[in-house]
Amino acid sequence: MSAVCVLTPLVITSWPVLASAIAGAAASMGFTIQPAVVQDENRKVRKKGVETEIENSEIIKDEIGPGQKIVITKGDISIEIGQDERGACTVCVTGSKHSDVELRAIGEEVAGRVVQQFAYHKLMTELKNRNYSIVDEEVLADESVRVRVRL
Amino acid sequence: MERPEFEINIGKNGKVTVEVKGTSGKRCLELADLIKEILGHEEKRTLTAEYYAPDSKVRINTKVNRN
Repeated sequence: MSAVCVLTPLVITSWPVLASAIAGAAASMGFTIQPAVVQDENRKVRKKGVETEIENSEIIKDEIGPGQKIVITKGDISIEIGQDERGACTVCVTGSKHSDVELRAIGEEVAGRVVQQFAYHKLMTELKNRNYSIVDEEVLADESVRVRVRL
Repeated sequence: MERPEFEINIGKNGKVTVEVKGTSGKRCLELADLIKEILGHEEKRTLTAEYYAPDSKVRINTKVNRN
């Protein structure tokens, strides 16, 4: 090996691309996607829950309608993924049987998995566009994804 | 001749670690920059011994002394 880089992906993308990453993350964590939700901002009722956001994220404007969200659920946990006023992607977790600390940890795990899915698909698409060969890929025991690419 | 390779690990927290293998020097940095360009923000870069190795084109001169 000759150089090692650690990167934090910038999740600047359209809503459909992010929705696809959310679907992949939800499936890998055993969550179920609920039917599309459009919430009227004027009648928005704030549920008790913990809100976190996907770091370095921005959903391209005009790609998401106001109040549009994706809701995923597992047991008593319900997670709404949408956009705040600055355009960042937010993850709001509610669950009556969990403490705030647990809900925050779940929200951060889901946010990380969404970024993992996004980074994987972006890398694969861009590397294939450059005609590089994907030699090998596997999911490791720690649930990270390892990909070998030959130039 | 060995072809350069990326070994990419995408962690479940979204962090991406990229190892560039099979090349050295400037070419190695160019390849690391390619992944940075695709994904965005670089937190850390470490250069290993292979980076400082001479380029893969090695010329060996052999002279036979016929004394």
